[in-house]
Order: sequence, then structure tokens, then C-alpha cells
Amino acid sequence: MAELFRIGDTVRARRVDPPHHTRLPRYARGAAGTVTDLLGHYPLPDRSARRLAAEPEPVYAVAFAAGELFGEGDHTVTIDLWESYLQPAAEEPRGGDTAGATSLPPRLRRDAPRGRP
Amino acid sequence: MNDVGGMQGFPPVPQEPDEPPFHSDWEAHVFAINSALIGRGIYNLDEFRDAVERIPAQEYLASSYYERWLRGITTLLAERGIVTAEDLADG
Repeated sequence: MAELFRIGDTVRARRVDPPHHTRLPRYARGAAGTVTDLLGHYPLPDRSARRLAAEPEPVYAVAFAAGELFGEGDHTVTIDLWESYLQPAAEEPRGGDTAGATSLPPRLRRDAPRGRP
Repeated sequence: MNDVGGMQGFPPVPQEPDEPPFHSDWEAHVFAINSALIGRGIYNLDEFRDAVERIPAQEYLASSYYERWLRGITTLLAERGIVTAEDLADG
């Protein structure tokens, strides 16, 4: 599937608290960062951990400023994040389920017409 | 219990000079058994991580790294019906 985000895009990690396995670190939830690399397509662990069908989806390297994550510090923290964990940074932090596309708002669903500004 | 990003409030991780891959023989066996079970498709790596994270918090915190692995493996094998509680009690 095509990537929703590109290198250089600012993205926000979703503010979620899933009751199941996830690879989205708690300290990054709700924080904004920059896509620095496209790492390929992999099944969403949130789904494969529960033996649910998991089509490969884009995984991004996202760099976060330490100040954004921890309120202080000059370094950056780069985290490998699945596309389901991310939303456009300009939008308010939003929750939802990390376990699949069905809970995404219609304009972010994979089957929605995709256009870029 | 576990969070992939780690948690604040714990002391620094002990740094052991020249740390061996395994501190006891049984740890190497646990590592090999897990690799074999994943390789055979009994469960996948994400299910294994999930099983470790499902360990009750008190037990998780009181367990060593490979004790958590062993608990994750036995949890998954019991859930799959591959081993029974009696099997585990018998060793």
C-alpha cells in the first residue's frame, strides 16, 4: 500500500491506551515529530500479537525533539512507528484504536480517496 | 506491565563488564526453545512479546529477563493446548 506520509512530514503519534500489545511507546503518545525515513512495510504488531489478519503497512522512522517528549533536553529520539500509530501533526491529538484502520476517521481510511495538499 | 519505551522511576540498568550471553545453561535452553517454537510457527514474535507483557505486574517485576521469557513460552503453550498444567508441574 502507498505511504500516507513522506520524509519531512510532521506527524503526531496517536494518543491511545490500547488494552493489547503495541509498539507505540507510552512516552511518545500525543507528541509531534518529523518523518526521517521510510522503513518498509510490516504487519501491525497490535494485530499479529492477537493472531488477527495483519496486512503489511508502512513503518516510518520518526524523530521527536526531547523537549516535545520530556519537556527538556536538546537531543532527538527516533522511533520506528507503524502508520496506524500516526496522524497529521496539524490535527489535535486524537485517540482511537491502534489495531486497525476501521476506527480511523473516514478521510484517513485506507479505502478513502487519497490526495495530498 | 511492559512498555516498549521503558518507564521512569526505576534505578539505572546495571552495567555488567564482559557480560556473557547467558548467565546459566537453562537460559540458553529457553532462548533456543523460543526460537524453535517461533520458527515452527507455533506462535509469532508479537504473540511472544504480548505473552511476556501479560505477566502480572508483581511477578513481572520480581522475575529476571529469561524467567519472563520462560513464563511467556509456557503461557502460550498452555493456551494452545500443547502442554497442560500437569506437564509444567512435572517439569
